[in-house]
Amino acid sequence: MRSADRVTAVLLLAFSAAFAAGALKYYSWWGSGGPGSAFLPFCLGIVMALLALLMLAKTFRSSSSTEGEWLPRGEGLRHMLVVLGVTVVFVALLKTVGMILGTAIYLTIMIRTLGKHPWWMTVAIACAAAGFNWLVFVHWLRVPFPEAGIWIF
Amino acid sequence: MDFLSNLQLGFSVAFTPFNLLMAVAGVMVGILIGALPGVGPPSGVAMLLPLTFGMDPTSGIIMLAALYAGTMYGGTITAVLINTPGESASVVTCLDGYQMALQGRAGPALGIAAFGSFIAGTVGVVLLSLVSPLLAKWALSFGPPETFALMLLGLTTCTLLAGEDPLKGYISMVAGLMLAMVGFDIISGDARYGFGVPEMMDGVDFLPVAIGLFGLGEVLGGAEQGKTQEVRGKLRLRDVMPSVADWVRTRWAIARGTVIGFTIGVLPGAGPTVASFLAYTVEKKVSSEPEKFGKGEIKGVAGPESANNAAATAAMVPMLTLGIPGSATTAIMLGGLMMWGLRPGPMLFEKNPQFVWGLIASQYIANILLLILSTLFIPLFVRAVRIPYSILMPLIVVFCITGAYSLKNNVWDVGQMLIFGVLGYIMKKLGYSPAALVLALVLGPLAERALRQSLIISDAGVGIFFTRPISGVLMVLAIAVVAVPAARALLRR
Repeated sequence: MRSADRVTAVLLLAFSAAFAAGALKYYSWWGSGGPGSAFLPFCLGIVMALLALLMLAKTFRSSSSTEGEWLPRGEGLRHMLVVLGVTVVFVALLKTVGMILGTAIYLTIMIRTLGKHPWWMTVAIACAAAGFNWLVFVHWLRVPFPEAGIWIF
Repeated sequence: MDFLSNLQLGFSVAFTPFNLLMAVAGVMVGILIGALPGVGPPSGVAMLLPLTFGMDPTSGIIMLAALYAGTMYGGTITAVLINTPGESASVVTCLDGYQMALQGRAGPALGIAAFGSFIAGTVGVVLLSLVSPLLAKWALSFGPPETFALMLLGLTTCTLLAGEDPLKGYISMVAGLMLAMVGFDIISGDARYGFGVPEMMDGVDFLPVAIGLFGLGEVLGGAEQGKTQEVRGKLRLRDVMPSVADWVRTRWAIARGTVIGFTIGVLPGAGPTVASFLAYTVEKKVSSEPEKFGKGEIKGVAGPESANNAAATAAMVPMLTLGIPGSATTAIMLGGLMMWGLRPGPMLFEKNPQFVWGLIASQYIANILLLILSTLFIPLFVRAVRIPYSILMPLIVVFCITGAYSLKNNVWDVGQMLIFGVLGYIMKKLGYSPAALVLALVLGPLAERALRQSLIISDAGVGIFFTRPISGVLMVLAIAVVAVPAARALLRR
């Protein structure tokens, strides 16, 4: 945890410096009669930099060597990455595959990989959820979902 | 008589069939969301907010407020049955609730929690309907300095109470404020930190951020643990009815929980979680047999459970009257209010009485519904707890994606939600506070406007925040909230 805190503190420090500097460079510090658009961002950048420095100092001072595990390993990590990976692919292909069809495919893949449930159950849940999505968002709320050409209502 | 006619107006709004249906739906979905580990009240409200876009704002807020009340009870079910709090306000319920379940008294534990919640919630609404108009009237005299001071106080208390490490809480809060700076500046019209991307010019919407941090972030955390726990035994309606002995034993615990809950809930920044912890501590302190706590003491369930419902109701007070949310959940509701085109704050009572009073009246109804539904359908909810995580998790992700998409019908927001989902997962792992970030993101633009208007009035003198009596007191409190714990930490060294 301590090394993670140290890395975060350094990253935050760099980010807040850039944030404050960017505010001063591109926006006006003082406007007509009052503070301009750079005023608060600059102050926030400074405050964040101070907080990051405090945290950095804390990681050096604390005597307790609690280098606890914070990253998951083994099965846990695999599960987490599967969920994240498949979700990213789903979102990336959202415009091509379409929301409703995509939902059905996504759910089938996820439920099958994570739980090893029987096929009929997996497909039934996936189709029911996709149908519910269509009913609520497309039919009732009239949200224009991205839809693939093969999926016409 | 003004009060009664307002309440009458409220009930006439709340009793329309559609609004009643929304209240029922809100309570049912709320109990379910609360009962499912991995989805808490903020993610529930964030994910369901897009559903309300097609509705009248009053129906929308009625559903969300009923849902919030429902989650408070739903969290108890898992806390008692599988020793896993469904949401953070039920953490202390695990201590004695689960012990009661092990002793075969899960029914009375859930029953007393339901009745305690009903009593506390109803008293809470009565107080809400009495206190809010007065507070709103008083708050009408607030100028920009008072508003800013109040927001600062809300932000600092919320942050202080959010996590174990206050420093990380403040970092989360400032990060939220920095995010709030993105987009068009309300006064000068500068497009800040847009990097030429049109979607960034509009700023960072709180909804994809909230859905990502709470919904997806929690799913990723749950995926890592990836197991569903065994639920013991079966529960029937008959089992959850508390006995006379239970009533006698817990009557003062419920009363104390109600008072503590409402008082804590009204404070900007402190919500149901703090209230339930405090109620538990108080129950243990005043008990003649403190050694029984942690071993299945029913008072240890009744007190905190009453407190969290009273606090969830009370959290509406600062949100409605001052426009300052008391928790992450009310922050998301406040964001919803702004999306529906309403301006939260004291003017709400004058300009949208049917909205405010409809909400208040529906809270009375929601509490009755909560009691009826939570006892009648307890077997159903217990079954819901058994849904394997491998099925639940993908469904939540799908709901996160559709929710984020339907905000503005674009994939950009879905991408944003994904990024904040990963960020929320990392934040939780490293001990940062997603709640403080969301609260700051919602309050950021309002706080900035109040700050700059104040400085324009005072001709750039900071003294304006301290010389006006109300804002002076609030500023001193806000500074004390930060300074006192920091000073104590320094002295201890």
